[in-house]
Amino acid sequence: MSTNAKDMGRREGAFEREPARRVFAAELRECRYQFKDGEDEKSPTFVLLPSGERSNRIFLVGTLTERTRQGEQNIFYRGRVVDPTGTFFIMAGSYQPEAMQQLAKIETPAFVAVIGKPNLYQKPDGSYLASVRVESITLVDKDTRDLWVLDAAKHTMDRVDAYTKEPTPDILKAKEQYPTIDPLLFRKIAYDALAQIKI
Amino acid sequence: MDFSEAANRISRKFAKCGQTPDVKKIEGKLRRLVDEFGVQPSEAERSVTNELAKEFNLPAPGSGGSAGGGGKGGGTEEKKIADGVPGEWVTIEGKIVALSNPPSPSIAQSGIIADESGAMRFVVWAKSNAPAMAEGSWYRIESAVVDEFKGVANLKIHSGTTIKEISEDRSLIPSPVPIKDLHPGIGSVRAKFIQEWDASHERMLQSGLMGDETGTIKFVMWKEPGKEKLVPGAVYNLFYAQVDEFNGRLSLNLNTATILQEEGEIAVSGGEVAVTGAIVHIAPGSGIIKRCPVEGCNRALSRQNYCPVHEIQPKFIYDLRIKGWLDDGEKTHNILIQRDVVESLTGISLAQAQEIAENNPLGMDEVFLQMRDTVLGRYITCHGRKIDNRLLVNKCDKVVFNSGDHTALLNRAGGAPS
Repeated sequence: MSTNAKDMGRREGAFEREPARRVFAAELRECRYQFKDGEDEKSPTFVLLPSGERSNRIFLVGTLTERTRQGEQNIFYRGRVVDPTGTFFIMAGSYQPEAMQQLAKIETPAFVAVIGKPNLYQKPDGSYLASVRVESITLVDKDTRDLWVLDAAKHTMDRVDAYTKEPTPDILKAKEQYPTIDPLLFRKIAYDALAQIKI
Repeated sequence: MDFSEAANRISRKFAKCGQTPDVKKIEGKLRRLVDEFGVQPSEAERSVTNELAKEFNLPAPGSGGSAGGGGKGGGTEEKKIADGVPGEWVTIEGKIVALSNPPSPSIAQSGIIADESGAMRFVVWAKSNAPAMAEGSWYRIESAVVDEFKGVANLKIHSGTTIKEISEDRSLIPSPVPIKDLHPGIGSVRAKFIQEWDASHERMLQSGLMGDETGTIKFVMWKEPGKEKLVPGAVYNLFYAQVDEFNGRLSLNLNTATILQEEGEIAVSGGEVAVTGAIVHIAPGSGIIKRCPVEGCNRALSRQNYCPVHEIQPKFIYDLRIKGWLDDGEKTHNILIQRDVVESLTGISLAQAQEIAENNPLGMDEVFLQMRDTVLGRYITCHGRKIDNRLLVNKCDKVVFNSGDHTALLNRAGGAPS
């Protein structure tokens, strides 16, 4: 019907991009369980947060305190990003050239916004390390950091509230995988994080 | 935190290795990390220590513990029209609000019957030998059947149906519904004629867009004796229009409707939505782009100025846009930001972008990079229309820190029992 050819062939289909979860470092650090959704090689991998939500991607804002270049043949960068509750470990390798170059440019210390994919590694001593493979990282200001703390606190409390109400399959899985963690702890962590913002 | 004590502690560590770092400088760095950047003291101490270790080419001292049904009921069950479910035998009382030309000789009459609960299409089979009903009159219809035609409930009057005219004059005022609440069937709306489209068929009298405070809907009117065109910009009460569904979208067929123009005004929403979140991705094709200059084309050209329809176009027109993803933590929205909004969001005007594109060694890429660095990871609120899963942004505001939100969240976190 439409005579405007511009409208044709632009359909995005049913593709849904995985949302970037807001999670404090203190919660990400507790993650021990990751899983694939589906059999396919390309199926997305999720880290299960102890508060009962799956996360394929996270968005965080904090202070980049350290950045190091590693590797000879395969160069990659590691960094530490600090939020009011702890430290995120981030990395960008040659498979993320954009992110690696962005990270290489930033002088520490600086407020940064990071979008990336969380991954769990088991260290030789058996303990787990959650690190974030950077998709992109940009320099931001203190206002953006403060906004993120509010945002992360809100989503953390939303998850804790949901956890105590009707259980979703992911919440049940979290109860099974993290039997010793009481998510009410994350409410307190959110409070402490909020309390650190000076008005 | 006692900065000088921590600074001394760090300096002693290095003294053991034969180095003499500047204690004042260490203290200044710690102070900056903690006071200015809100880094926790232990992390600040660790970070400064590592920085010095690197400076003196020493191994970093430890990584710091961070590992961390409906049956066929009774034949004479009296029902309201809105309660009629396909498959039921019903008795109803209603007013004939529209009659349309029967589409087939086996149908004697067709149109719309309404009561105060709603309205429904009806057909009278020629074989039923029913008396002809008149538009505007009330009838009691006993033992008719509700069935489904094209996914919409429809009242069938057959040979077993009794029709009695009701002589008392009852008033019936249809109640308009918001456009966003319309569903297939019969609906009444109060709406403004906001856009007239070219008729795409010779039998079509008029088509266009109607809008109210809640949304917009396409309408069509077919040529028929006595039908007149509507006036763009005017507000109408459209009673008993037929609501059709095609490809998941609704449209109004006004041929059956009672159309009353009125004097009022409506602030049409245009399906406006607002989403607040962080920009988590800027897609390729953002920044400054070249568009095809051919009248009515306006496609984005490739780097070699190639238009998929009009081939090479050296006299292209520059434009700005940002394609990306806005993420609220629960859902990611595909956004397309047009030129004037890009200019106000990034602070880079089309003229400045063109200057960069033509004189910077990186050319158009440089515009992309500058825009990405000013926008990515920032919180914004986008206003616009959602079309095919994409938000076309016509207004955009940066989110500013609101101490009211802060206090509300602190209260919600609730003093946190220790």
